[in-house]
Amino acid sequence: MDAFSMGLLAAMGALATVAGASEDIESDVGSQSNPNSQVQLAAQVGFPHRIYNKAISGEPPSNALWCAVAAGTAMVLIEKFAMPALLSIALGAAVAALFNGVFSTTAYMGRNASQARFNQYVFLDVLRTHTTTIMAHAWITAFCITCISYIMAYVLPMTHPFPMPLIAMIWGLAVGAIGSSTGDVHYGAEREFQNTAFGAGLNTMDSGHIVREAEAGVRSSIDNAWFCAKFGGPATGMAFGLTVFLDNWRATIFDPATQGVLVVATGIVIVIILNIYNKMLENYARKKYGPYPEYKGDIEA
Amino acid sequence: MTGIDATSVMYIIEIIIGGLLVAIGVHFVPVGGAPAAMAQATGVGTGTVQLAAGSGLTGLLAAGLMMKMTDNIILIVASGAVGAMIMIDATMLVGNWVYIFGVGTPPASAKVNYDPITKLPQPPYMAPGTVGQGIPTVCYVSGTIGGLLGGAGGSLIYFALLSINGNPGLSGIFAIGIFLVNAVLASWNIQGTIEGFHDTKFKRWPRVVQAALLASAIIGVMAVMITGGA
Repeated sequence: MDAFSMGLLAAMGALATVAGASEDIESDVGSQSNPNSQVQLAAQVGFPHRIYNKAISGEPPSNALWCAVAAGTAMVLIEKFAMPALLSIALGAAVAALFNGVFSTTAYMGRNASQARFNQYVFLDVLRTHTTTIMAHAWITAFCITCISYIMAYVLPMTHPFPMPLIAMIWGLAVGAIGSSTGDVHYGAEREFQNTAFGAGLNTMDSGHIVREAEAGVRSSIDNAWFCAKFGGPATGMAFGLTVFLDNWRATIFDPATQGVLVVATGIVIVIILNIYNKMLENYARKKYGPYPEYKGDIEA
Repeated sequence: MTGIDATSVMYIIEIIIGGLLVAIGVHFVPVGGAPAAMAQATGVGTGTVQLAAGSGLTGLLAAGLMMKMTDNIILIVASGAVGAMIMIDATMLVGNWVYIFGVGTPPASAKVNYDPITKLPQPPYMAPGTVGQGIPTVCYVSGTIGGLLGGAGGSLIYFALLSINGNPGLSGIFAIGIFLVNAVLASWNIQGTIEGFHDTKFKRWPRVVQAALLASAIIGVMAVMITGGA
């Protein structure tokens, strides 16, 4: 372990945290991923809305695409045109953001147009204001992940054998999986259904009854991003930051060439600690909230 | 193109074993799909393939780095498995933060009355009109095992491919492809959602062994022949 490697590792962790947060907020503004099932359903059950609707694909494949495009472009600029790395990565992320914009626009127009029979309109002002917001967040995600990939492929003393676009694709897939699993729950279970009591998931009877009023006026997806940026986004950033940091930390403090067993053992210790912490968290929640008063079964809490 | 000799057969067998580990590992990953994203069902609020691929391929990065330093298969596979476990554990943990602090619900399983590991009662903590929420201990442990198997499987496939052609990029992308084929087969078998090894759907795993065996054998032969010529 040397100070240079640890510094780079810290930078990777910080970049990953930002990437995770921006990925989640990008999916919230665009209403991608699983909670979009309710946005899709809303118009069909009589609740047309002004929420963006871009289920391009699952978040992992789409983010893998943005990040691989950004890293591929950056790699070409660095290796074939000898451009500075930072500028190349920024340009690569811009190309990825353009890809994102194309997919977002077609997804929003296609999905809303197909729901015309339910009085769901295509709002051109929503398209104009939200698409650029989505692209901006996609740029941040692609930029941060391409930076992480660049550090791993070129800068660390022990460079990764995979080419930079492949590393970016895998991290893009991981950040999408994490955003879809963590931050999106804050959007789907809480923000979309703020008209129900806090402390429970969506009751099946309320499916599709998403909140359409904002703190002032009619709710848009940018209002949702404002809300989710307070918890869901940073939580996603924490999860991805933890993954990138902890996974690389064990290979930085020990030398994989001579201390491979210690690298693996450290990982196992981390996994055990995470399992114990989750159990403590479960105990805390059960004690704090208690059983649901509506429960009428025989099993004692 | 290259011919199939005894060494190639050994690598194909490794690819098949890796594929089987991935397919079985996916059955351990607790995913509730879209309903879980609304805290309507127990498990992680995403798809099986998405989470399994996210964790397994994070493990592949760790295995790739380790294989650059050593040719010890146990260390490479273990490093991949641990990388995948770290990713899935961090994800499930933060997922629980969101369920507990963002939505205000305690984790509860809908498939068992008592958590098989902690023996804690589950139904009283299940929100009305839902089939559980969050990631209780049994699901968390199951997910960790899923990460272990998925990461180990992906790493084993990568090990076999890299041993043949010595090209990390080519081997990595083929390993991702073989991983995804087996993860999707498993996802069809469990039809979208599963809570983990305590779920009744878990008993379907022998079926996926047959499918993954066949698919991995075909892809293994193709992968060895194609990448061997690189």
